[in-house]
Amino acid sequence: MGELAPFIVTSWYGHRDDDGIPAPVRAVWSEKFGSRRGPGPRGQSNVDLAVLDPKGRVVHSFDGFPRGGPGRGGLGAYTLGEVREGVERLKASPPETETRPLTLPDVGEKERGVRIFVRLMDDRMRAYQAPVVEAVSLNTKDLSALARPKKTRELDASELETWLSEVYPPGVMERTDPKTKEAYRVASVSGPLILSPIDPADGRPRALLSGSVRFTDEGPDNFSWEGELDVLLTYEERGSKVHTFRGIFEGVYPRFDKKRQEARRIPLIAVFESRPD
Amino acid sequence: MTQGAAHLFASAALAWATLAAAAPEDEAERILERYEELRPTETDLVMYRLDWAASLDDALKRSKKEERPVLLVIIHARYGDIASGHC
Repeated sequence: MGELAPFIVTSWYGHRDDDGIPAPVRAVWSEKFGSRRGPGPRGQSNVDLAVLDPKGRVVHSFDGFPRGGPGRGGLGAYTLGEVREGVERLKASPPETETRPLTLPDVGEKERGVRIFVRLMDDRMRAYQAPVVEAVSLNTKDLSALARPKKTRELDASELETWLSEVYPPGVMERTDPKTKEAYRVASVSGPLILSPIDPADGRPRALLSGSVRFTDEGPDNFSWEGELDVLLTYEERGSKVHTFRGIFEGVYPRFDKKRQEARRIPLIAVFESRPD
Repeated sequence: MTQGAAHLFASAALAWATLAAAAPEDEAERILERYEELRPTETDLVMYRLDWAASLDDALKRSKKEERPVLLVIIHARYGDIASGHC
């Protein structure tokens, strides 16, 4: 990771028939899909990486997933090798740059919200186990749904849709709109939840939120997945406002395997932590 | 109900009540432990040590100013937020 420290990293997505494709992307695709070379020797995954010099010129580009596999060292070693080649082609060596501290997506400075980590624990496609991290701002209404309960009360998961709607796996290609090619988002969140007060800890009132949650996406086939939600909340010492919370979701995502013509039930997990902490 | 059965019933009720009172605390501990187990580690989150720019435009502006190279990830798709991973 240290070798990537000098780089400013960014991503761009789009299609070849889009208007206004940025010059570096045009340059990469021109080489990749050019009539002389064709996609063959460079592979033809839908991910490319490019090293740009400080003038914005592409000095080296490569397919994210080379045809025939990345070789013995794996994808990491392949990528690093290609990046090194790019560095060699830069006219000036990149400046010495210290590795940055871990900087996770977060809500705005004066906002309150939640950070969500989502992982699909697919043992066949381990890339899906890489955590998705989303930060969602919560407004007064979102937070009031979690207000301190005087006694056990019920609420529906739909009241927490603002943040629970991030609980879907990454890169699920079969759940995309065939016309727009965009991934289906979560269309509805539902399920009976119980919010129960428990004894204070360190003077702070607490509560438990638990129950089953069902998610349905925007697709036309009523596709859904479900699991169990458990959240521990602490409250301001006086009043009913949420102070912090920590939670987990453990569910199952039924992923259709085209080769085997069967649905695989893959564990989908999410972790929640309130922000700021 | 015989006296023995009543005693047994009362003991069971007391035990159940004690269990019910203790359960939320155990459950709170369980949630926090599970949160720690499931939260991705720093190693899992290593891509968040990279210096991400929110857009290619931002990256190019900063690159010129800071005289640093850009590593551009191009996704041939209609949607793909690689910084969060949801795509």
